[in-house]
Amino acid sequence: MTKQIQDAYIVSATRLPVAKKGGMYKHVRPDDMLAFAIKKAWEQAGDIDPHLIGDVVTGCAMPEAEQGMNVSRIGLLLAGLPDTVPGITINRFCSSGINAVADAANQIMLGNADVMIGAGTESMTVMPQMMGNKIAMNPIVFEKEENYGIAYGMGLTAEEVAKKWKVSREDQDAFAMASHQKAIAAIAAGHFKAEISPFAYKEHHPDLKTGQVKIVERLAENDEGPRANSSLEGLAKLRPVFNVRGSVTAGNSSQMSDGAAAVVLVSEKILKQYNLTPLARFVGFAVAGVPPEIMGIGPIAAIPKVLDRAGIKKEDLDWIELNEAFAAQSLAVMRELDLDPSKVNPLGGAIALGHPLGATGAIRAATVVHNLKRTGGKYGMVTMCIGTGMGAAGIIERL
Amino acid sequence: MTKLLIKKAAVLGAGVMGAQIAAHLANANIPVLLFDLPAKEGPKNAIVQKALDGLKKLQPAPFASKSAMKFIDAANYDDDLEALKDCDLIIEAIAERMDWKSDLYAKISPFLNENAVVASNTSGLSINELSHALPENIRHNFCGIHFFNPPRYMNLVEIIPTKSTSAKVVDALESWLVSRLGKGVVRAFDTPNFVANRIGVFSMLAVMHHTQAYDLGFDVVDALTGPSIGRPKSATYRTADVVGLDVMAHATKTMRDTLPNDPWHKHFNPPVWIEKLIEMGALGQKTKVGIFKKVGKDILVLDLKAQDYRPSNAVVADEVAAILKIKNPSEKFAALRASNHPQAQFLWAIFRDVFHYAAVQLENIADNARDLDFAIRWGFGWAQGPFEIWQSAGWKAIAQALAEDIASGKTLSDTPLPAWVNDGRDGVHTPEGSWSAHSKTYVPRSGLAVYKHQIFKEPLLGENAKTPEASGETLYENEGVRLWKLPEVDNGIGIISIKTKMHAIGDEVLDGVIEAVKFAEANLDGAVMWHEAPFAVGANLKKVTEAIEQSRFDILAAMVEKFQRASQILKYSQVPVVTAVQGMALGGGCEFVMHATKRVIALESYIGLVEAGVGLIPAGGGCKEFAIRAADWAAKSVTPGELMNFIQPVFTNIAMAKVSTSALEAIEMGFAKDTDTILFNAHETLHVAIKEARAIADANYIPPLKARGIVVAGRGGIASLEMILMNMLKGGMISEHDYRVAKYAAIALCGGDIEGGSLVDEEWLLIQERTLFVELLKNPLTQARIKHTLETGKPLRN
Repeated sequence: MTKQIQDAYIVSATRLPVAKKGGMYKHVRPDDMLAFAIKKAWEQAGDIDPHLIGDVVTGCAMPEAEQGMNVSRIGLLLAGLPDTVPGITINRFCSSGINAVADAANQIMLGNADVMIGAGTESMTVMPQMMGNKIAMNPIVFEKEENYGIAYGMGLTAEEVAKKWKVSREDQDAFAMASHQKAIAAIAAGHFKAEISPFAYKEHHPDLKTGQVKIVERLAENDEGPRANSSLEGLAKLRPVFNVRGSVTAGNSSQMSDGAAAVVLVSEKILKQYNLTPLARFVGFAVAGVPPEIMGIGPIAAIPKVLDRAGIKKEDLDWIELNEAFAAQSLAVMRELDLDPSKVNPLGGAIALGHPLGATGAIRAATVVHNLKRTGGKYGMVTMCIGTGMGAAGIIERL
Repeated sequence: MTKLLIKKAAVLGAGVMGAQIAAHLANANIPVLLFDLPAKEGPKNAIVQKALDGLKKLQPAPFASKSAMKFIDAANYDDDLEALKDCDLIIEAIAERMDWKSDLYAKISPFLNENAVVASNTSGLSINELSHALPENIRHNFCGIHFFNPPRYMNLVEIIPTKSTSAKVVDALESWLVSRLGKGVVRAFDTPNFVANRIGVFSMLAVMHHTQAYDLGFDVVDALTGPSIGRPKSATYRTADVVGLDVMAHATKTMRDTLPNDPWHKHFNPPVWIEKLIEMGALGQKTKVGIFKKVGKDILVLDLKAQDYRPSNAVVADEVAAILKIKNPSEKFAALRASNHPQAQFLWAIFRDVFHYAAVQLENIADNARDLDFAIRWGFGWAQGPFEIWQSAGWKAIAQALAEDIASGKTLSDTPLPAWVNDGRDGVHTPEGSWSAHSKTYVPRSGLAVYKHQIFKEPLLGENAKTPEASGETLYENEGVRLWKLPEVDNGIGIISIKTKMHAIGDEVLDGVIEAVKFAEANLDGAVMWHEAPFAVGANLKKVTEAIEQSRFDILAAMVEKFQRASQILKYSQVPVVTAVQGMALGGGCEFVMHATKRVIALESYIGLVEAGVGLIPAGGGCKEFAIRAADWAAKSVTPGELMNFIQPVFTNIAMAKVSTSALEAIEMGFAKDTDTILFNAHETLHVAIKEARAIADANYIPPLKARGIVVAGRGGIASLEMILMNMLKGGMISEHDYRVAKYAAIALCGGDIEGGSLVDEEWLLIQERTLFVELLKNPLTQARIKHTLETGKPLRN
């Protein structure tokens, strides 16, 4: 293998349907979800020798307990990949998934590997609280007011963004409702079919009447989050959660979810060797920092940076997956960067589809890859804000 | 049958009463099958399931612990009748239709266990007639068992035996209801509406009649017929709204239909305006509009003349208010009757007519006057029953006034008073017993063994029973505390009773507790801390304010230090000290409870560390005790490193000033321990506490050692809690001062600004909490809170 700057091609990208926290994957482990995503992505990639896989990079925002212990390595072994394949878990909160795909692409671009898997997994069901298993804040944070932002909950940062960017409650609710409507329509139209691998799993339940263990077999085919009955009246009735006089509610925030996805990337050499047809090329990725107390505006800093590096303009983008952490920050980002609303989250976003933190980036990469193909678009982007004040954006080109 | 063994119960009918009765059975650890009709569509138990979901939201809460709910199984008459075989008690609580009830009895009969007690919660139908729907071999186990809504909170249960009910069954059921469910039981004759509703509904009808006769507004009547005459705050019309105007009308209808010969029969009609409201669907609270209506923050009252609602602005006339303040009941009633003011005339009239009705009907509805008075007290929340009020106001004088009013046609019926009223007596309640118009004798209190557990029974005027204060032998006494004993119960167990108003804890109480425990250590085998409810409402704020006003923080520092000493002496006493709790145990009261060797807690106990409400943190050992407990819990957990998981809930208890809504919840919140004893009947706490103290003492009590090597969460823990506070502050949920107070609680709970995982001792934790406490006392915002609470009784958010 010669080390050289080369392109990274996506040959497969798939995901499980996303479940609500405590929903259909209540008893499904995040490492099992990951193993399934890797297995399916690998099957869909073609008949490549698995020993060629340079590394499996998995994003996870709370890599502890069931999703700790370097879940990437556990997931790939459970997926049946040979034990010669290494795995690494990375964490940049909500961008972990797209970051994993970018890191995997980077290894190919640098000539360090010819085959890579980028993945993400997160079960918010198994996380005892939003801050992981143990809250352990550094006392120094409270010694200086400039550090207070580190202690801000995500919802509070969304309130700050809503205030500063003057995003009204009505606009947030309308955005949330549109997210549900788009998602419901997309499911009905089958627009997620190409990216979703239906997930069959078993649950072991006690049958208290017979004293036997009852094995229940289930099959997940669609995302669990979208609500067909979402209404503006219903959304308007919800109380603000994070600020009593605020505008951010459970209805216009992303849903807590469980999910996983995997993307297989290869070099040109592998494409030729195995006669593979690539789905897309991973063009580039950028991250940027912003004040932690307004972390939701992260994409405002990251998007121009990645466009600049890729050498394209925002008008060149045909499909934008902007993670809807909160309607407030999504709208602030769209307005500030003047993004075309018709290109943003055409199939709905995290408010409807759910946001399994570290998995979301990889999940939405699969959405972009398959929907560029479906619609004939050229460039697509996955972007999101990140806790403690960052933004990430990755660009994908259909081939 | 001398004892009821109820291992499992069934409640038939998942309506408001049935579901709540099931909940209270579950509170008492009795598994319940809750039946209703099978749903026509969907899951068959959908009706019951809906009722169970409703229970979760109902206020006041029917469950004393959220976990109680899992002991209720939904059932339906199609699939589950077989399961009745395992039920030892079956309470029927379906709609008030004789035909429906009879059909149901026929349906369940083949499945009944022959030893099962079957009872109907009907509030008006004839129990004897109902029994005919049951087979002969079940009838001796059947009776009426009439709960009041809400059944967890309303003390009264009427037992109505039929002609066939076995006396043993009635005795066993009464004993079980009193002790296991904590109820006040009255035996009623099988007459329409039984005792409480017969008199209580009559009283409401009389109030309604005289409201119109004296041309008073509903709001004025409520102002007149509430706490100022010893009745609940909801008085008359608000009560009617809460009960439901349709329910009121139904109870009246039962009386009209079933009591054709009652001399007051012509009054057994709901007023026309109530019927109109019912027609309009204005049924009271459940439809959000009835006699009263809430619009925004304003409460509007129906004005009959205007045929519309107007703002409620009831005013009790000064001269009437002055009469109601007269302490001597004889003078008060004489003044009411003598006054020409319509409000006074009205009050006299409503009392007079109830006295009249109760006297005439006593013979027909209840065994004796005590039962009638208790029924009204426990079922309608009056401070005294009608006969007690009459007797206290001078039996003969009232009887004469009543006779005069009958003669002059002022009463609602011209029926003469029964002869016994004027047989020269001075009342119906005497030390020997209460008058039975039925058997023409004085009937003593029940001799059932269950009542022996009630050392001080529900007092009754005229019985002249010894009060706790006048009972026993005093061993030590100061201004705040009396240590005494009841040699006939246990000569070696002392009783520490706080004497102050609302049992507020000041210096004299602290001195008294310290001295009393020292006395017990030297001279007794053990002690209990007991007095009537409330257990204690916390520190005496008046004294605290006085010291603040003089800037005598040295006095306050000494006081808090003494508070800690009192708590510590309870914890480390060389003889066991058991606290017997009923009602509120707040702030310092809660700290005493937490530090005792063991706790005997009445189910209806409301325990909490509420200091944050007045801008303080618990400093009588409360924070210290929770820091130690959290460390203990963490050490026993599977992840001993996760101390914060245990600190966080107790921090919430303190920072939010949370109060348990029951004894069970007090255990869940950590104020009490799961080895503590819970009693459903508060009258049993003293008896049981003495027995517990005796048992612990006889087991050669080994006092605990002072805690050492306590792992604390330290500065990292404080920061983690501060993160939560920061989000609440920035989210506008708490004020700057709330933040400060809560942070101080966090510091005390985490052992101060030291490294997490540090090992400290109890004294270290005590220094932390008292230093922080005194610092908060110096803060003007805390001082403002204390002053406000002292003046208004309410918390100040600043």
